[in-house]
Amino acid sequence: MKGPGGHLYYVILGVLVVVAAIRIVFRVRRRRGLGGMPAGGAAPDAGRPRRARLPAVHLDGDTWLVAGREIRERMRRRAFRVVTLLILAAVAAAIVIPAATRTKGAPQRVGVVGIPVDAVRSTLAAAAKSVGTGIRLVPVRNESTGKSELGSGALDLLVIDGRAVLVENAPTSTSTSATAQLAMAAAHALGDALAVASAHLSAFQVAQLSRAKPVPILGLHATPPVKNANRGTALTGIILIFVMLSQYNGWTLIGVMEEKASRVVEVLLATVRPIQLLGGKVLGIGTVVLLQSALIVAFALIVARVVGSSLLKGAAPDVVLASLLWLVLGYAFYCWVYAAAGSMAERQDQVQTLALPLSLPMVLGYIVAITAASSGSPSALVRVLAYLPPTAPFDMTVLVGIGAATWWEFLISALISLVCTAAVAWMAAGIYKRAVLRTGHRVRIRELLPERA
Amino acid sequence: MGGLLELEGLTRRFGSITALDDLSFSVQAGHVVGFLGPNGAGKTTAMRAVFGLTDLDSGEVRWKGEAVGQSARRRFGYMPEERGLYPAMLAGEQVQYLARLHGLTPSDAAASSRAWLERLGLGDRVGSRVDSLSHGNQQRVQLAAALAHAPELLILDEPLAGLDPAGIEAIGSVLVEQAGQGCCVLFSSHQLDLVEDLCESVVIIDHGRLVVSGTVDELATRGARRLVVRVDGDRAGEWAVGLAGVTVSEAERGALRLVLEEGTDSDVVLRAAMAAGRVTEFVFERRRLSEVFREAMREAEPEPEPQPQPEPLAEEEPERGRSGATVDGGER
Repeated sequence: MKGPGGHLYYVILGVLVVVAAIRIVFRVRRRRGLGGMPAGGAAPDAGRPRRARLPAVHLDGDTWLVAGREIRERMRRRAFRVVTLLILAAVAAAIVIPAATRTKGAPQRVGVVGIPVDAVRSTLAAAAKSVGTGIRLVPVRNESTGKSELGSGALDLLVIDGRAVLVENAPTSTSTSATAQLAMAAAHALGDALAVASAHLSAFQVAQLSRAKPVPILGLHATPPVKNANRGTALTGIILIFVMLSQYNGWTLIGVMEEKASRVVEVLLATVRPIQLLGGKVLGIGTVVLLQSALIVAFALIVARVVGSSLLKGAAPDVVLASLLWLVLGYAFYCWVYAAAGSMAERQDQVQTLALPLSLPMVLGYIVAITAASSGSPSALVRVLAYLPPTAPFDMTVLVGIGAATWWEFLISALISLVCTAAVAWMAAGIYKRAVLRTGHRVRIRELLPERA
Repeated sequence: MGGLLELEGLTRRFGSITALDDLSFSVQAGHVVGFLGPNGAGKTTAMRAVFGLTDLDSGEVRWKGEAVGQSARRRFGYMPEERGLYPAMLAGEQVQYLARLHGLTPSDAAASSRAWLERLGLGDRVGSRVDSLSHGNQQRVQLAAALAHAPELLILDEPLAGLDPAGIEAIGSVLVEQAGQGCCVLFSSHQLDLVEDLCESVVIIDHGRLVVSGTVDELATRGARRLVVRVDGDRAGEWAVGLAGVTVSEAERGALRLVLEEGTDSDVVLRAAMAAGRVTEFVFERRRLSEVFREAMREAEPEPEPQPQPEPLAEEEPERGRSGATVDGGER
């Protein structure tokens, strides 16, 4: 059940992630300021056995240097900018098009001819409210004046004698413009009003009728009400998560492979530890993930505000935050897997044989989530996949979008993902360390496990 | 300053192949030291061991008497055999980045990388992508990257391979200059004539073991005396074949190279030569490094290994097993 409390928790989770990211950046900055030329003399860590298998990324100056290079090089690429612009354009379209067709910003101008404006004011106001638009009623002297004003665009709608509605283009059942919607609602409302009037009902009876509402539909299984706007938001979120995760995973995979193939890794590892190099790469691309997704979300919110989209209403902001958080969690989980895979290959064809099996869980989670988002009701499969780290970024997001996840379910899934990420990072660091310096043929997992008896 | 690099008892096995077999030697500061050996001798593995790029089964690398750790390696410069640069990065940024990773401040790294690229004749290519540069220029960028942080120890794997004479001259002079400033310089090469020109000392290894090491002078004058004799009209040098205590090492365009055993009187040779014809040349000769090398190889390997090498676990030494013990310059 999602009450106001539910919203609050998503907001808190989102804020925590942002705060953590900011803290990391600042901590690293501070250290970086100290990273000067080491003083001569004996090496302080000389003779210490190589500290192997520490899963934690050392956020020291070297790691940040590596990350900084990664960020600069990624941002510099034209392909990156083009993709970002395309995503922004797609997001803008996803927000503006439904908003523009649903409501016009300005109230509809309705001319009333033949009867006093006050006679139809309440009826038309109720009709306008039901389709979510505002109206301004204008008394019109006669029908021909009304028609010419309609033709010139001074009026959107003309109500004649309370018995007919005149518009420039008669709406069909599929018309979605605000004028068409208002015309149809007004036609119904005026018809009802006429029927009530011709039945000679008492004021009490009229009041009773106007309060009529549908009886509730009860399901055997309780289903929380689904809001279209949230589903749409979730759908957009899932598609973006998929597109962006694929992009970042590809970067990590190819980036690690290229470092190995060009032997840069030898020069780098002559001065930094493997975990620093790996951590820096993951952190660098991760920063780009945050920046790019934050830009997209900020842009989406601004556009939504400008056009008055439903993205800012109800639980939709939670869905946006949940998508953002799961994008970050999804990246954190997958980046290690792809980095380890990249360290095992040094040619494009070797990378491709690795990339396909790795992408399968993502595709599965994505397709299941898309299906759930379009049907609006979660299957058992979605509910299971929402707790598995490889598929959770899609399936937990869709559960939030269709209002089928409580805040604590969300939190549990996020925690499972974090714990598994730590475990995956630990294994990936081990594989990376052993594999990245081996050249010649693709390294097989078996070669990496039993290093020494 | 003066430092000392010591490799002691380095052993590294890859499956059935022993890349390093109890290898020990040391490199003194102030010298350019050539690191020689046939393909697959373990040179690259030994160099990588200094940087912790290969796990050792046993042995230790020490710098100034202490085991080498990460902060010591920050003051080392390394130039691997194959390209080790980001192809899409700009040359200047690349060198600067590596200098930063070795602990230089941003401004020092910028100044130093610029200075080195200019010194190596790449002043106008600072803003070029690495993959747009020629092989020789990439090699120079690589050297600049190894030098930008003013290392105390410089280890270069085949720095002169594939360079034109101008490139060899540019890189060679930098190495000599660095050694002159107190840097420890060790580089591997197959071009023995170049090594002879550049190096004060050499270390020769084979099958992962030390074969011989010492200064070039020492090695050139050590052992049997060598004579070059030219007799007018004689090309085959058959007059020398029967002489006691004398071996003909080569006969080339009338110049006969003879190796004299201990106690052999050179006057006997001279008389025999005069008997064969007019003597136009009679000179005691220093051994060339290529001969030192070939001799060392012969001594190191009394019987050739007959079995074909199994495919190595491809961590390093990719050249191993591809060809036998051939060295450029050793063939002449």
